[in-house]
Amino acid sequence: MDNMLKLESIHTFIGQFHILEGVSIEVPRQSITVLLGRNGAGKTTTLKSIIGLTPPRHGKVIFDGDEIQGKRAYDIAAMGIGYVPEHRAVFRNLSVLENLKIAEKKRGDLDRKSDFIFGLFPDLKRLYKLPGNHLSGGQQQMLAVARALVADNKLLLIDEPSEGLAPILIEQMMVAIKELSKTTTILLVEQNFIMASQLGDNYFIIDDGKTVKNGKMSELIKEEDVVKEYLGVSLGKSGGAK
Amino acid sequence: MIRRKSLRQILPGLVVILVILVLGILAYRFMGSESFIRTALSGLTLSALYFMVAAGLTIIFGLMDVLNFAHGAMFMTGAYMGWQFYTNPTFLFGLLPLVLAFVTGISTTGLWIPLVSQWKITEAWRKRLTAVLVVVALGIAVLGFLKFDLLGLADTAMVTAMNAGNPLAEATPQEVLATFWKRPLLLLISGLLLAISAARPGDDTQVISSNKKALPWVRLAALIGVTLAAVFLRESASIAVLKMNGTLRFLLALLVGAGVGAGLGSLIEVSLIRPLYARPFYIVLLTLGLGYVLREVIQVLWDPIAYSMDVPPLFAQPGKAENLLAWFTGHNLTINIAGVTFPSYRLFIIFLGGLMLLGLFVLMRYSRLGMIIRAGVQDRSMVEALGINVKAVFSVVFAIGVGLAALGGIGAAPFIPVTPNMGDAYQMQGFITVVIGGMGSYGGAGVGALLLGMARAFGDFLALKFNMSPAIAEASTVIVMIIVLLVKPSGLFGKKE
Repeated sequence: MDNMLKLESIHTFIGQFHILEGVSIEVPRQSITVLLGRNGAGKTTTLKSIIGLTPPRHGKVIFDGDEIQGKRAYDIAAMGIGYVPEHRAVFRNLSVLENLKIAEKKRGDLDRKSDFIFGLFPDLKRLYKLPGNHLSGGQQQMLAVARALVADNKLLLIDEPSEGLAPILIEQMMVAIKELSKTTTILLVEQNFIMASQLGDNYFIIDDGKTVKNGKMSELIKEEDVVKEYLGVSLGKSGGAK
Repeated sequence: MIRRKSLRQILPGLVVILVILVLGILAYRFMGSESFIRTALSGLTLSALYFMVAAGLTIIFGLMDVLNFAHGAMFMTGAYMGWQFYTNPTFLFGLLPLVLAFVTGISTTGLWIPLVSQWKITEAWRKRLTAVLVVVALGIAVLGFLKFDLLGLADTAMVTAMNAGNPLAEATPQEVLATFWKRPLLLLISGLLLAISAARPGDDTQVISSNKKALPWVRLAALIGVTLAAVFLRESASIAVLKMNGTLRFLLALLVGAGVGAGLGSLIEVSLIRPLYARPFYIVLLTLGLGYVLREVIQVLWDPIAYSMDVPPLFAQPGKAENLLAWFTGHNLTINIAGVTFPSYRLFIIFLGGLMLLGLFVLMRYSRLGMIIRAGVQDRSMVEALGINVKAVFSVVFAIGVGLAALGGIGAAPFIPVTPNMGDAYQMQGFITVVIGGMGSYGGAGVGALLLGMARAFGDFLALKFNMSPAIAEASTVIVMIIVLLVKPSGLFGKKE
């Protein structure tokens, strides 16, 4: 089995709204797979459907050989999925240390991993006593990623890590994610196409709640019309982030 | 930047302390030292009681958005249970085997899941089966209580005062084991049936956790052991308790009150509140109704009369201690504090309130549970996405909150009349405290309780001084609330609206 995660045509409703209408994704082990698509296409909902916060009503979610659709979020997370939500949802009333500590799934997880984590994000080490709401946006984002690294997760779901970050921090975040992909599998949602194209091994495009296209990232970069049609991004021009 | 933010966080507290200080100095000048100290100490006593009720309310609301309108009734239940344990534990020990047997039955739910979830039955039959199981289980439970002399067990408390010389005069004989043994057995069966229905027969989508196989069996064995012990020690345990010295018995009564409260709290959360989290309005109605039910049940068992619990001997030796240190050797009824004679038991209440605040602080700040609660107040689903079962934490928090209220009830019992309605006024003040302090902040509840207690005590003093109606004093707490809400609509330390 070479896929860490496989979605088979999942359908997810939020209230009465049919948000995902057939999303199928395969995430190979030890790689970075990027979910692309316009705002509101259903990328975030896809991640939430995997982790079980918005459970899919139809379809299958297969993680490391087990069907996990319909299980509770905490059961799914405990099986080894780390979730980094959008908008840097760190716990504001908890200190940096507590934010990391709460993610322990076994006693001593943090002690074991702290060198690795602080090696990736040296800033956090200096700040570890501060409450979450005293951190800058970039620091919060790093904390949110770091939190997902405390437990031994086999798969990381990372939602828009570059959102609202200064270019220098984006650079740092990219280095960190690249480093992570050596030891774990990553499913990344990213609006910043430059970042996505540099990080991703494979890509899936979601449009209107359906997966419409997928393949190798190296090939997508050549297909200007596809990128323009589904992502609204013109290649070749400078920047072209959002 | 950082300094300004933290200043803003503690600012409300500073302002409140400043206001209390200024008012205090004014009052001191105006009232003279003796009546000032007396009033302030009364105020602190009230503050401690308000805090005991408000602390549970606020952490329950903070984490799960549940306004528990049965909190006052839980306060009252705690008082009755502790008082009953103190005067005549026969009732509790007589009931314990039945409760334990029932809980033992229900605790097997997890063990049934792998078995019954595989049953091949249709959706319609699944529903029918569950309904039938529940009805049969309740029927069997009723059968278990048939002709059980509950009233007789509870009926003894009135005579206590008259028989103070002979503590064992109260120990009523219980049903002999030869007829009693059926009752726990029936309740065990009833619990087992409920466990099967809770395991959702035929629903094969359930997760069967494979990593913790031994734990449920160990728990079951432990529960069976405790139940058997409770069956055989019914009489001797209650006699042993009655023979104990009064101080120890009182401290145990505090634990029993809090423990029964916590047990009741988790039972209510699991069985009644959990199915309704998606419908907050129903929860309000449910807890409101639950309060009435509890009051009526207590009234049936103990008659609608007011009891007074004796002040435990630790605080009841005749005479006056010259200072706090002297009290530790004399255990006198009153203590001289800066020229004011004050009942020592009320100082104990203040101490208990302070201890509770400290305990909550340590729990919230330094334990993993506290960390999860603080995180959950902000973002429950993210906590869940970290692999933490938030629903299980809900039960624990509800149990702690109700346990605190029940502890407050039994603490208050020796100096307020024990009646079915004793909790109502405290629930009202508890809610006002929570609103003032900010929903979800236990520290805010502490400051709010301090404000309210003082407002009430000094309001009473002023009303008496100027011959005003005592209603003014009762309104004083609401006036404080209005002022606070006008200045800060979310409460002093509140983040939620």
